[in-house]
Amino acid sequence: MSSPVADNWLTIRLTLAVFSQHYRKSPLQAGAILLGIVLAVTLLIGVRATNENAIRSYSEATELLSQRAQLLLAPSSGKKAIDESIYFKLRQAGITQALAVLNDTVTDNQGQRWDIQASDLIAALSIQTAQDATQQKQPEQYTPANEQQSASLLSVDLPLDKLLAGAPYILMSQSFADDVASSGVMILNNIKLNVIRLPDELGLGNAILMDISLGQRLVNRRGQLSYIALFGQAEQLTQQVNQVFNHQTSQFFDIAVQDDGEGLTSLTRSFHLNLTAMSLLAFVVGLFIAYNGVRYSLLKRQKLLVQLQQQGVPQNALLLALLTELLALVIIGSLLGFILGLQLSHWLQPIIALTLEQLYGARLMPGLWQWSWLYQAIGLTFIAALVACYPLFTTLAKQPLARSASRFEQQSQAKRKHVKLFIIALSLLGIAGLLFPFTQDYQHSLALLGVVTFAIPLLLPFTLQLGLTIVERFSKNGLWRYAVAESKELIAPLSLAMMAMLLALTANISMNTLVGSFEITLKSWLDDRLYADLYIRPPNDKVAATQAFLSTQPKVTAIFGQWVHNSQYQQAPLSLMTRDAHSLRNSNQIKVSSNNHWQTFFDAKSVMISEPLAIKYRLNVGDKISLPEFEQANVEPLMISAIFYDYGNPLGQIIVSQTTWQQLGLSELPTSIAASYANDIVELETLLQQKLSLSEAQMYNQTKIKQRALEIFKRTFSITLVLNSLTLLVAAIGLFSACLMLTQARQAPLARLYALGVSRNQLRGLVSGQMLIIVLFTCLLALPTGALLGYLLINKVTLQAFGWSIAMVWDWLAYFRVLLIAILASAAAVIAPLVWQTRKPLISSLQQEAL
Amino acid sequence: MKPVYYAQLALLSCILLSGCFNKSEQHTTGMGQLLDGDIKGYSPVVPGVTLSFPEDHQAHNGFRQEWWYLTANLTTASGEQLGLQWTQFRIALAPPKTTATVEKPVTQTNSWQTQQLYMSHTAITTKTEHLAAERWSRGHDNLSGTQANPLIIQQDDWQWRSDDQHLFPATLKVTTADFNYQLKLDSQAPFQLQGDAGYSRKNASGTVASYYYSQPFIKVSGTIEHQGELIRVSGDAWLDREWSSQFLSKTQQGWDWFALRLNDGSALMLFQLRDNSGKQQDFFSAKRMYPDGSGTLISSDQISMTATAWQQTSSGRYPVAWEISIPSQAIAISTKALNDDANMPLSIPYWEGPIQISGSHSGLGYMELTGY
Repeated sequence: MSSPVADNWLTIRLTLAVFSQHYRKSPLQAGAILLGIVLAVTLLIGVRATNENAIRSYSEATELLSQRAQLLLAPSSGKKAIDESIYFKLRQAGITQALAVLNDTVTDNQGQRWDIQASDLIAALSIQTAQDATQQKQPEQYTPANEQQSASLLSVDLPLDKLLAGAPYILMSQSFADDVASSGVMILNNIKLNVIRLPDELGLGNAILMDISLGQRLVNRRGQLSYIALFGQAEQLTQQVNQVFNHQTSQFFDIAVQDDGEGLTSLTRSFHLNLTAMSLLAFVVGLFIAYNGVRYSLLKRQKLLVQLQQQGVPQNALLLALLTELLALVIIGSLLGFILGLQLSHWLQPIIALTLEQLYGARLMPGLWQWSWLYQAIGLTFIAALVACYPLFTTLAKQPLARSASRFEQQSQAKRKHVKLFIIALSLLGIAGLLFPFTQDYQHSLALLGVVTFAIPLLLPFTLQLGLTIVERFSKNGLWRYAVAESKELIAPLSLAMMAMLLALTANISMNTLVGSFEITLKSWLDDRLYADLYIRPPNDKVAATQAFLSTQPKVTAIFGQWVHNSQYQQAPLSLMTRDAHSLRNSNQIKVSSNNHWQTFFDAKSVMISEPLAIKYRLNVGDKISLPEFEQANVEPLMISAIFYDYGNPLGQIIVSQTTWQQLGLSELPTSIAASYANDIVELETLLQQKLSLSEAQMYNQTKIKQRALEIFKRTFSITLVLNSLTLLVAAIGLFSACLMLTQARQAPLARLYALGVSRNQLRGLVSGQMLIIVLFTCLLALPTGALLGYLLINKVTLQAFGWSIAMVWDWLAYFRVLLIAILASAAAVIAPLVWQTRKPLISSLQQEAL
Repeated sequence: MKPVYYAQLALLSCILLSGCFNKSEQHTTGMGQLLDGDIKGYSPVVPGVTLSFPEDHQAHNGFRQEWWYLTANLTTASGEQLGLQWTQFRIALAPPKTTATVEKPVTQTNSWQTQQLYMSHTAITTKTEHLAAERWSRGHDNLSGTQANPLIIQQDDWQWRSDDQHLFPATLKVTTADFNYQLKLDSQAPFQLQGDAGYSRKNASGTVASYYYSQPFIKVSGTIEHQGELIRVSGDAWLDREWSSQFLSKTQQGWDWFALRLNDGSALMLFQLRDNSGKQQDFFSAKRMYPDGSGTLISSDQISMTATAWQQTSSGRYPVAWEISIPSQAIAISTKALNDDANMPLSIPYWEGPIQISGSHSGLGYMELTGY
């Protein structure tokens, strides 16, 4: 005797066996579902791994080839370097867990700039792990591919004889060297340097490292250090250092406790958010495809499900079997997606690493991954799929045992549903529209943006319906009218794939708009900002000589100066700066200002702040602001009288007048000098090189800076564009699979038409025409929705997250480009099965109806 | 002398220079294979060279490796026995000639450029505790190296500082994370030149040798700070100075070295080089030394030594007790470690610690074991 529970299990197992037979017969259906899940999870995991790795890298950042430092001794205010004697003094006093580091920028023969780091390699390699720090922080993550090796003198294969002799040898990670120095040689500052490749696991990232014996000479900074890293316990070290320098440290250096990456994390937060949003979008697009697949496979099994119930399978068992099937597909799909996602992240990381390193100075460590991501991906996908499919399941499982509703009824049901979706979409858009004016925080804006993104595809089915009804009215009788009429019936089965496509197109168009607009804004801003022909950053001891030299040159028409001081506002780094009066008036594009801005500003009663700073701390014209330097110099907080545009700068800026600068008692030596020149600027560059032996790396002409700025800009967005293209690709694949399934489902009606005397060519034209109409309508809808999303991205998210005002510029070329991709994808999707189908014997196609 | 370090430094240099760096290789590869470094360009060790002081207390950068090596058997105020070791090693990364021919694309120079690498070790050993520490840095006027007048041998804040250009009297100051010490060192006895007037053979055929002199009769007093406690100590110390360019012969695997102070007032330096080829005899060398500067060389065939007890430590299994017999000197003694776990778990692991002597003579000394 068997229990009812066991009976139930048996039934479920049998039902599952039937389902698996079904999929064996039509693998395309299972494939489509899997494809959707795989694509969704791939992009989700790929971006997640990339993001989390970057954030982990900030918090666990170690000194190159060494350990994580707890204390950093940095040049004191206004100075560019620490004297190396400080380092020796520390070591002689027994603070030997110390590392001398020199950072600088060098130029290669193509004029490209590279950041280099030179350190006392022996110290770097021999510093032992600060036990306390590492033991407390046992990472839960497991890095199977590359267990983070900590380098030591004996574990690293280095030609120390050459490195310590100051011979031209530099160290790079294997993969970075493969990218930028595949010949094994790099020419930096006109010196040929041999590249030594170290395993990626040592965590060099995209850094160029060398021994300090070479570094100081390469950048002509003998005796100078950028900072000294100390290892151990921060408090104890601070105490020791203070003892060594009799508590007079501030005249030699500033002591900074190494944060756990909060600084970098907050700087890069919006960047990562951007990526996360993109990955979620891709995830949704992928799920659309999966959902479409599930729906289609259920539709094909409608009859089967009825038959099973007629055989006595209870509804519960049927439902459970369907859920089990879904879970199995989700698990398999997620697993595949997980593996592919890690691979994707592997490809994305170098792109990200370059951006983060060059823009924010963050160094990425070798990748890691966690099993929990897989569980989360499975959970998320299953819940999403369940929410999407459960109504379908219950409808199907509960349908009357007599043969289901007629075709006509199905159609009118679909129409009603389309109207319902449209209304939901409009309500969502309405709500978002009402709330948007009140958002201040980019995270809220992003949430609302998500609502809009969700609403957009819901608009599609009804819009398509509407569009086709209008076209139908204008089309002639005969085959074409039939085609249009039938297209309307295709909307229901195709709508999901088209919705995914619409979403991808919208996202693509909006991102293109954002990026394009930003580029134009940035260029115009650079044109204003860079008024002089040549910008010079001489070493401190040559500033006066450079100024004097420039003033004697008859062709120099103007000399400008800029003074920069590194400061802090609410724990975040910031540049406090001033310029000469002419530059102050002409080099900043002012966003808003008070009525008597210039007067109060030059009277040392007010300051100007950059737009990102204003937005980040919600500062407005009229507010008062103070910095530690103000307090030190007993200067009262000053009013903000203007906010100026600033792009691509991760640091906030405060500009004060020269009078204020003097009141603050900051360095009199300008940080950089600019000059306008009445002749070819190369002439002046050559003169400066000859007369003052300034190096090329210390001079920038306008063109070079613009190039560099745009280059950074492109890098910042390259990752976004890559993800965007991937999303579009996912949508195209989704469309392809939907068309493929649909065309297969339409074998019988097509065969009927063929039997009625419609030629094969006409049939091909008919089907392609139908698809083209639907795709074109979708693209047409993507135009306003893309513009809407673009508008919100520019005026809400980017403005709030980065603090950059951008004038929106519509790019038709980009629009037509994505349109072309969409049409090509659908054309491929339609033509392939069509050719294959219209060649099949008539009878087999006709028989499809009966099966 | 500390022949044992030939092996270690050979290994070290090999690791540093040519990159046979895999940790597992250190154990599986025979030492001999690792000792095959290129010595071209370094100063050769030849017989007949007269050592002169104080000049030879300084670093000899033309030779491949060198050390200043102090071991001390001390007694605390409460009568507890304590061993102390301080060693500063110098390793040349390249011969002086190549330094000159190194490409110089950057015309200026800076003080960081060097061919000398320094490593220092220190340890204190009691019956129950053994603490060791290590330092690395490059040769640099402000980091590590030697100075002539007053004579200074230093690495960071570890410093041997003599009152003048001679080795004694001197102060030795060392600070580590676990312990600090400050010792006053003095000796009236003449230096003992090992081997043939300082030319010390390292194998039977004489193809490998070093310059080697010792001071076995040093009086020590000072303080050790450990766990917040200041301990007064006094006792005897032994200094070895050795430099050379060539390593062990290819078949030599490791060393067992002894610095023994016998109760008759004499001292005995003794070592064996273990051969692992099976073809060559192990090579022994010893010298009986007296405070008046006199001494007797003891040839290899007169020495026999046998390990009698082994200890498994965190960095290997070492023979910690020995029977030593030199009939020509009427010496038949057993040695026993003060602390069997006196292994040095540093970049290159070895065993080094104080020992007690019993048998025909009694006394205290130091033992060093490597290549296990």
